[in-house]
Amino acid sequence: MAIHIQSGKEIKSSPDDGIQLMPFKIAADCEAEVSTYFKPYIKVNDSNYTSSFRGYPLVGKKLSLPKGYTGVILNERVIPDTDTEERNFYITNRFESFMHWNYDKIPTMNDAIMQVLDVWVDVAEALHSPIQET
Amino acid sequence: MDNLKDCIDINSLENLNTHLSYQNNSENSFYISKIPDLCKEKLCILGIDEAGRGPVLGPMVYGIAFCPLEESEILKTFECADSKALTEEKRDDIFSKLCSSTEIVGWAVDVISPNYISNSMLSRTKHSLNAVSTDSAVGLIRAVANAGVNIDHIYVDTLGSKPEKYQSFLLNLFPNYKITVAKKADSTYPIVSAASICAKVTRDHALQVWKFQEGIELTHKDFGSGYPGDPNTKKFLKNYCNPIFGFPQIVRFSWSTATNVLEQEAYDVEWENTEEDHKDSESPNNVSIKSFFKMVEKPAKKKRTQHQFFSQMCLSRTTEF
Repeated sequence: MAIHIQSGKEIKSSPDDGIQLMPFKIAADCEAEVSTYFKPYIKVNDSNYTSSFRGYPLVGKKLSLPKGYTGVILNERVIPDTDTEERNFYITNRFESFMHWNYDKIPTMNDAIMQVLDVWVDVAEALHSPIQET
Repeated sequence: MDNLKDCIDINSLENLNTHLSYQNNSENSFYISKIPDLCKEKLCILGIDEAGRGPVLGPMVYGIAFCPLEESEILKTFECADSKALTEEKRDDIFSKLCSSTEIVGWAVDVISPNYISNSMLSRTKHSLNAVSTDSAVGLIRAVANAGVNIDHIYVDTLGSKPEKYQSFLLNLFPNYKITVAKKADSTYPIVSAASICAKVTRDHALQVWKFQEGIELTHKDFGSGYPGDPNTKKFLKNYCNPIFGFPQIVRFSWSTATNVLEQEAYDVEWENTEEDHKDSESPNNVSIKSFFKMVEKPAKKKRTQHQFFSQMCLSRTTEF
């Protein structure tokens, strides 16, 4: 099964507070009125942010992607019925930072996403850089 | 109090509305009146009561009222009585009298936002409504004491069914004051009635000036009293339920009235690791002791596990190799 990632017709650059990584799964696949229901309630205190989703308290942190990396949002227009078919993803948005939200817990280096950003980048570089013969 | 708009003196209903409409209604707000000089000199009685504990909409308001013991007859001339037994007009009228008697009566209100209530009750270390209430009452007493009121006797409407328990809790915190906790204190002690009127009027007006931060153009007539039985409130909850975000934040999400509507009208949400690692007890690593006595040849196929670095990095194989 091949996966194709293709550049969309128009790739929008997301604003700094455009991407919200939420600590839950929701059984929905549709647009959400983030600017109406979520953003007005985001508050900054010290280096963290607070907000609320369905009454649940959230604590967030703005995370920037490591140097040399760009975040992309992929959209799959047609989801194949079987797992042997080829899959096509299109890039719709790019971003350099995003908001990482925890349910009532201050984001720390124990959070997987923060470890990934911090550690994986170095490992990936070591793995993929050309081997230099001495 | 670093902002001019926080410094309005509330001595009329209009001022109350202005004050309330300046507040961010997703946060708690606190107001304390000017302290009458008499209340600093003479021994004072204090009453504490709450309004809006039950409704699914809007803030819960804790109120405190105080006046010198020897001047307490003034409360009777205002016809202070249980706020629930009075009409809205009568309550507004008594409130106007109370807040304009700035030489004798002082008061304060703690407006606890619906968002604060939801967040407390739905936090990881569940902070119950009773705990929120107690915090508020204690905060009010402290604020009034810090403002220089010469407190002698505090009268409180009970929280829960055991007045004695609440009374000893408060006495423990404030050993220097006389404290009376009683059922139906708001109809027994005029000073508690006064507090209950301050709280109730503040709550009602907070809803009257409520501006939805979600931009919804509705007034308090549209969403009703907030009591779960109110048909307007029921209609509001059903019609203004957003399938993703649930409700505008005037709603207390922790009320079963609200969660019932969410189950019907909104998408299911599954929170991440709320009960961490509770499912491991049945994992295949826990071998039953009986298994050692079974006479079967078990293929000793050891499943190769990845180094924990990969699980920590949230990496998993998508293809076999």
